[in-house]
Amino acid sequence: MARSGITQDEAAGQLRRLVQINEQIKAVVSTAFKINLMALNAIFLSKRAGQAALGFGVLSNELRQFAVELTEKMAELRSLVAGSLRGVTDLLKHARNRAIMERVDSEAAAARASIQALLVRQRVTLDRQESEMDVLHRRLGLLLDEIGQLVELGGVLARSAKIEAAYGGSFAAALMQVSTDFDQIIGVIRSSLDALEKSESQEVYA
Amino acid sequence: MKVAKTIYQQGARRWIAIVRDPERPNYLIDTNEYVVVDGGHALLCDPGGLEVFPAVFGAISSEVDPSRIEAIFSSHQDPDVISSLALWLEFNPRMKCYVSWLWGGFIPHFGGTASTFVTMPDGGMEVPVGGSRLIAVPAHYLHSSGNFHLYDANAKILFSGDVGAALLPPGTDGLFVENFDQHIKFAEAFHRRWMGSEKAKRDWCERVSKLEIDMLCPQHGAIYRGEDVARFINWFDELEIGCLKID
Ligand SMILES: [Fe+2]
Ligand SMILES: [Fe+2]
Repeated sequence: MARSGITQDEAAGQLRRLVQINEQIKAVVSTAFKINLMALNAIFLSKRAGQAALGFGVLSNELRQFAVELTEKMAELRSLVAGSLRGVTDLLKHARNRAIMERVDSEAAAARASIQALLVRQRVTLDRQESEMDVLHRRLGLLLDEIGQLVELGGVLARSAKIEAAYGGSFAAALMQVSTDFDQIIGVIRSSLDALEKSESQEVYA
Repeated sequence: MKVAKTIYQQGARRWIAIVRDPERPNYLIDTNEYVVVDGGHALLCDPGGLEVFPAVFGAISSEVDPSRIEAIFSSHQDPDVISSLALWLEFNPRMKCYVSWLWGGFIPHFGGTASTFVTMPDGGMEVPVGGSRLIAVPAHYLHSSGNFHLYDANAKILFSGDVGAALLPPGTDGLFVENFDQHIKFAEAFHRRWMGSEKAKRDWCERVSKLEIDMLCPQHGAIYRGEDVARFINWFDELEIGCLKID
């Protein structure tokens, strides 16, 4: 009797990986929340700076928009991960039952005939679950790519804000401080995202 | 492997005990499972834990076609009793499971759907196997708060769950109790610790002493037969239970 494609250890490995991803998402979401607040502050600041900080004001608005979009994407990612968690848990349960039925098949000759149909049914269920997990896995990868591009854009916005800050007249120092903070925090998001991508692409079938 | 031993046969009625598994992983408590067969129909008492499923299923298959098993009788909720439920249901999704109403919301954590469970009221009920009727005998608080034994008046057999259980040392794997005084030593600590209610114990002793019983079949250890049945009931009646002291 052929063994099922995924072993219990592999499914358990996937579960741990998803839990890790979930924790990393939390980190990115809380950072995005910080950017949102910072962007709101920057918008007020640029209003006070008036004419001298028009360009900076536009960029602050863009950065705020970026924070909102990032938060939305992370929510999408989180629900995808929650779906994968359910899927993997189910897969674990079925893989365990499958392993026990395979023991019946190999240890109890008398019972072999009566479980053949069951083994076929289990095989079909497991194959279906595994291909569903593959689909989720691909969607997760695509979404992470999209988020990566979004964060790149955020980086460009932060750097441009730094340049605009120099034209801020008497507010230049304050604006420079804010835009440096932006740049740093996007750096933090980028490295969290790198870690996330790394966890996501971990070889689970090794 | 476990072995299937026929302990009663009369016409189409048969009781099969699934016993002793010397190859079992030794951190698991050894269990007995019982199959009641009536012609083409069968009922399984306390199917056992997840880990012993292959051994139980294999042993049953050597004697009875397992697809004849239409129902499970679960004396109570313990994992050594019923944690294999999901596997049995995977084998036959239409299988019924008789269990105390008290555990009706708990045992589904092991598997099954609303249509799986037949919940038994505290007073007990008739449990059909093929054309005949067995009786679920109340044994609450011995040790579980919602607990039943199963009585077959034709075979004069009482399946007694954890009551009568003995934790036997390696090497003592006889099917029946041969020397009551020797045997009961291995049952004493178990009953003192696991059975918590003196009142429930009295009730049970009175209830079952009115039944005609040739064999008292526990979920752990050897089967009491003949005069050892009454000997056990008297011994249990006098045993002080539910009195753990922590110093
Ligand atoms: Fe128990
Ligand atoms: Fe037990």
